[in-house]
Amino acid sequence: MALFYFKRSMRDVVGHIILIVLPVILIGFFDYIYRSSELISGIQDPENTFITVLTIGFTLTFQIYGGALTFETMGADFFTPMQGRLLATPMAPRRILLAILSMGTLVSFLQTLAVMGFSMAVLGAKIRAFPVVMLVMVLSIVFHQLLGTVILLLSGKVKTATTAMSFYGAIAPIFIGIYFPLPDTAVFHFLRDYLTPMALANRAVLGAMAGEGQEVLRGMVPLATFSMLLFMWLKPLSRRIHP
Amino acid sequence: MLIQADNVIKKYKNHVALDYFSLTMKEGEVLGLLGPNGAGKSTFIKTLVGLLPMEEGEITVFGMLQDGNNPELKRQIGYVTQEITIYEEMTARENLAFFGGLYGLKNPLLKARVEEVSEIIGLKDQLDKKAGSFSGGMKRRLNIGCSLVHKPKLLIMDEPTVGIDPQSRNYILSFVKRAQQEGMSILYTSHYIEEVEAVASRIVIMDQGHSIAEGTLRELISSLQGDAQILIDVRIAKEEVKEALAALRDVKEVALHNNTYQLIIPGGVVVFDQILPLLSPLGIVAINSKQPNLEDVFLTLTGKQLRDEVN
Repeated sequence: MALFYFKRSMRDVVGHIILIVLPVILIGFFDYIYRSSELISGIQDPENTFITVLTIGFTLTFQIYGGALTFETMGADFFTPMQGRLLATPMAPRRILLAILSMGTLVSFLQTLAVMGFSMAVLGAKIRAFPVVMLVMVLSIVFHQLLGTVILLLSGKVKTATTAMSFYGAIAPIFIGIYFPLPDTAVFHFLRDYLTPMALANRAVLGAMAGEGQEVLRGMVPLATFSMLLFMWLKPLSRRIHP
Repeated sequence: MLIQADNVIKKYKNHVALDYFSLTMKEGEVLGLLGPNGAGKSTFIKTLVGLLPMEEGEITVFGMLQDGNNPELKRQIGYVTQEITIYEEMTARENLAFFGGLYGLKNPLLKARVEEVSEIIGLKDQLDKKAGSFSGGMKRRLNIGCSLVHKPKLLIMDEPTVGIDPQSRNYILSFVKRAQQEGMSILYTSHYIEEVEAVASRIVIMDQGHSIAEGTLRELISSLQGDAQILIDVRIAKEEVKEALAALRDVKEVALHNNTYQLIIPGGVVVFDQILPLLSPLGIVAINSKQPNLEDVFLTLTGKQLRDEVN
């Protein structure tokens, strides 16, 4: 079953192009624009180049959109007539949901690897403490996959989940300052570091690259806690897929 | 009994979709469930498969209570949905293997069943093509195939031929006959009377959530014995004349197709003196009589033309 969902996800060629090629283009584009600027947010560590900060920021941003692959698959399976076909089988719907969720997470992780790999190999991004950074990336992927799933199950509509996640995906990167520099004030620093789950992940990654364990924990612990809560919420919410 | 449904009530808010509906089905039977749109056929099918809870009543299948949570029971049933529910981005082989897997089949049995089923549905040469590239008829056949991989004892087919070409329809009807000969029990719902006539060994007619008649084709038609059917072609038909004909005491049912009035009248009753004055002004072209068929049974029982309901 999991292999089937993996193959199904992998056949969404347009989705993969958007989620891999677009961030790479944006990373190159914003690097070109801000290369000479000293104001870009997120560079607390002088060893981080613009391209590195942009790579982290856009990889995290497109993980949010990567969640769409999962909840759109769930929507196609459980909020269309396919639901009747699937629920008529002896397979527990929760197991199907988990298969979709885990394969969506895997595909999003592969997209993350592709974007970061390209950025490191071609654009010159330097990701230090790579294993810890990838750990944070995985946590961020899991959180955003779960968030999209929960919104879908709560609303019962793919369109609502898409709108909510697109809005979040548009706003969150602004507040970590990857589109344009944010004012250098305490309030904006707070928003940049804590406002969104994406900000927490960004903070943890930058902390990991700077070798600051406490920063990593400040980002990862709340993100892991939220992920756990969302995962626990899935069980009661999965009952909503019954007609 | 293979299926025993007793006094099933299913409501959608204020609408009663199944109203003390009862039905029985024996092993090895092809039971045709016939009814117009909104009769409650699909609601009953979904309740029978365990997808919809019911307010009252009880359904047992293979002697097991259908509560929607019995995996053992689900393994015995194949459900062909009214809509085409296949994954168009995947190949026919992947679709068949996926649904077989959901029913617990594992390789090498699963592979063997996929091959067997692809032969049954006539898609053996198309197994590795994406379902999205198939014609409507091929998709319908794959839709049926996905319900057969686990070799169900009971196959429930909800309007399996909607929107397909005559060739694919004949293929599906032939499959139903073959499957019955091989011992499969099939519950077949359709709008199309001729399909039910062709495949069903017993027929249940339902309307407004009730079962209004049941029996073999012969039994249902013989229930109309004594009734006669008259077809009168006119140059220009008028709806108000149909209503006037229906109001006549000796006319049981009237239907109007294009320029032909179809009347069902009790045997031995002479009605021409009553109907001709109404029809003559419309210009009578021809008058014919014919033996009653299932469509006439349906018309008499429900007062509706099944085909009109479709359109």
